[in-house]
Amino acid sequence: MLRILHDTNYDFIRWWKVMAAITIAFILLGLGSLAIKPPNYSIEFTGGTLMQLEFTQPPDVGVIRQTLDDAAIHGAEIQQFGTNREFTVRAQDPSAVSAQSKGAESIAVTIERVLKTKFGENNLKVMRTEAVGPRVGQELRRGAIIAILLSFLITLVYLSIRFEWRFATAAVIATSHDVFTTIAFLKLMHLEISLTVVAGLLTVLGYSLNDTIIIFDRVRENLRKGRKETLYETLNRSINETLPRSILTHATVLAATLSLLFFAGEVIRPFAWVMAFGIITGTFSSIYVAAPVLLWIERKWPRKTGARQASSTATPTSRTRPSPATATR
Amino acid sequence: MSLKYRILCILALIGASVWALFPRTVVERVKRNGEFVYDTVRRVPLKRGLDLQGGMHLALEVDESKGAVPDKSKAIDNALKVVRNRIDEFGVSEPLVQKAGNDRIIVELPGIDDPRRAQDVVQKSAFLEFQITDKTQALEKALPRLDALLKDKKVAAAVTTPGAKKDTTASAAGLQSLFTADTSKKADSAKTDSAAAVGTVGGPGAFSKLVQQGQMPGEYVVAQPDVGTVTQYLTMPDVIAALPPGKVLRWSSDTVSLGGRTYKAFYVLDAKPIITGEFLTNAKPNTSPTEGNLVEFTMSNEGARRFRTETGRHIKDYMAIVLDQKVMGQPPVIQGAIGARGQITMGGKDLQAAQDLALVLRAGSLPVPLKVVEVRQIGASLGQDSIHKGITAGVIAIALVVVIMLGYYRFSGALAVGALVLYILYTLAALAGFQAVLTLPGLAGFVLSIGIAVDANVLIFERIREELAHGKTVRTAIDEGFRHAMSAIVDSNVSTALTAAVLYQYGTGPVRGFAVTLLAGIAASMITSIFVVRTFYMLWLNRSRDAQQSLSI
Repeated sequence: MLRILHDTNYDFIRWWKVMAAITIAFILLGLGSLAIKPPNYSIEFTGGTLMQLEFTQPPDVGVIRQTLDDAAIHGAEIQQFGTNREFTVRAQDPSAVSAQSKGAESIAVTIERVLKTKFGENNLKVMRTEAVGPRVGQELRRGAIIAILLSFLITLVYLSIRFEWRFATAAVIATSHDVFTTIAFLKLMHLEISLTVVAGLLTVLGYSLNDTIIIFDRVRENLRKGRKETLYETLNRSINETLPRSILTHATVLAATLSLLFFAGEVIRPFAWVMAFGIITGTFSSIYVAAPVLLWIERKWPRKTGARQASSTATPTSRTRPSPATATR
Repeated sequence: MSLKYRILCILALIGASVWALFPRTVVERVKRNGEFVYDTVRRVPLKRGLDLQGGMHLALEVDESKGAVPDKSKAIDNALKVVRNRIDEFGVSEPLVQKAGNDRIIVELPGIDDPRRAQDVVQKSAFLEFQITDKTQALEKALPRLDALLKDKKVAAAVTTPGAKKDTTASAAGLQSLFTADTSKKADSAKTDSAAAVGTVGGPGAFSKLVQQGQMPGEYVVAQPDVGTVTQYLTMPDVIAALPPGKVLRWSSDTVSLGGRTYKAFYVLDAKPIITGEFLTNAKPNTSPTEGNLVEFTMSNEGARRFRTETGRHIKDYMAIVLDQKVMGQPPVIQGAIGARGQITMGGKDLQAAQDLALVLRAGSLPVPLKVVEVRQIGASLGQDSIHKGITAGVIAIALVVVIMLGYYRFSGALAVGALVLYILYTLAALAGFQAVLTLPGLAGFVLSIGIAVDANVLIFERIREELAHGKTVRTAIDEGFRHAMSAIVDSNVSTALTAAVLYQYGTGPVRGFAVTLLAGIAASMITSIFVVRTFYMLWLNRSRDAQQSLSI
């Protein structure tokens, strides 16, 4: 039997102050950098035009820029995308966006026309066009924020029913922590915030929540066993007991994430980056945010005597099917 | 549940999945040599999103820049029918035309190779009117008034250059023969002339000096460089008020060239059309040796009756065919009462333009103008490339996960790998069965879910190991392991499913595809890791007596 980190007894929570300092520093760094310069929103959120072009010969980026400037499309961002014959042109300037309020396609049509005139009709091909009018962009941004907040609310309610409010609150706070660290990560990595990245962020939240739930499930179970130990000790025991599972699952998820990162192409890469970071922050927050917060809540609003029994009645599965293992001990 | 029923259940699910995914013959409507034909193809019934198969996504809203629309929702409902008719005739396989929210139409056209044309077909108003040209010289009478009005006006965009005067003093003799000239090769000269867009502004005779009487009553021509100036004049509120009442001005859709110069005509028309396109029953493209490409149309009985009466009343008058406020071709003189049939000449445009015009006329006119608020267009080759890369990433992810599971859990790992194969089969079958659309983010979500799917197995295996460590027999350890892991598996999966449901509700297009994949994956993962792996263990325990002694985990 191959075993990794079996029967460990690390005092994880002892380090929570150091860890809190590190993560707060990271979040502040990200948010500070956000205050200096706003994040890169994709055109889905700001409105604008994105075109992916494939040239037959590697073109001169300066010439592309000059041609667009001559056509009064200013501030367009031109980036190599994969090979040196493929480029994306992104017109996200407020002037370009407002020009699209009458018809989202107008800028894309102009870009295609002037570049084809300059480089020749058959020397470039438009692979992809995305053009979003300003109003649609605003709606999508609002939708994304509603989605994140709503998923928090639903999680809070579900966990309050399945565990109890202390666990639910700690889990949601740990998950909110992941939102902030992921935003800081996006900013520091200069990743563009697109709909796909928001989907990635929500996946990270789900994944991190999973991790927290697995540990809390163990805490719930250990509390029911009624050992004579403090919650601090129970938390540490539970984290240690679930450690092999955490390592294995993170390994398989990381394997999938890395294959996305390296093999699935440019469009998916930002999503894969978010997910790769999510594995780290999700694991971190389950141990160093969820557990300390639960301890803090417990100290502030302690359970009354016999509350441990009460917490076990809050879990229907265990009530209907009492575990023989618990009974034997 | 007894072992027999468990195995039957799994086999039934496999059977259903294979059936759901089995390549089948699908009837598709495709366009071949300009004709719509039904064609059959055999393919796996997994719907690919636009980002994977290439195509075009359009979001349209009511365009209120030319006047407010009181009941937008109703207007969109009516427009939706027209757009749907047009797209059906356009011949795309599996198009999607639907209303989104209260005031938006979503059009998805998979596999479109000419996005510009598709967009024209969707957006063209196709409002057809037949109007009699003015014969009362109403504009001539209004000219002094217009000149006086414009004398002191300045046109912002117009630039005065020395060459401008010459353009406006085209010879009357030239104009006489203007419309007998060959109009087919005007396009080239139009380009060169418009490059020197120049206008003379203000001063005495500001309007009249730019405008020349045409060949027929109500026709006026403007030199191409002055068209911009005249257009600007005609949008000024003062000018609009001073135009003759009961008449409308409409530009011609074409330009004509004469002696190296290009002219554009406009017509003064009776504002009330004698008939509109609502009575049109059919329209089809054709080519005539003398008039080039054209569209022939047929009126309904009711329309034909009206048309006959009206044209009978206007013999020897000129009738302009106005499409979307542009006069198509040169207004013909009415020789006698016209009945059910007529034609619109395309003035040198290609046959495809005639086909498209016939199409939109058949499908009916849009009740309100529409504007595009969102376009996504993806080339088919890019979509193909995305599929290849997605599959590569998926295969590598599966290989890595298999290595990890086999390396760590050995025999039990092999059971988990077996379950993983079923997981992939079930998930894809669920996507096919619910006709979910597989998008690029969805594909990424699927690859990721392969890594996450084994989590439930990991939880169970770790529990079994703990129970074995406590000295339980193999059989009891397996039972206890499954039982203890259950609450963690259920809670973590349900909370993920809730997040996915929120994503589905608030996501659009590709992200929605991601949410669907996630939901299908969660369901399949619960079934395979709990039910299927348990059954595998039961089979194994029944088969071998040694199994009671030790478990490779």
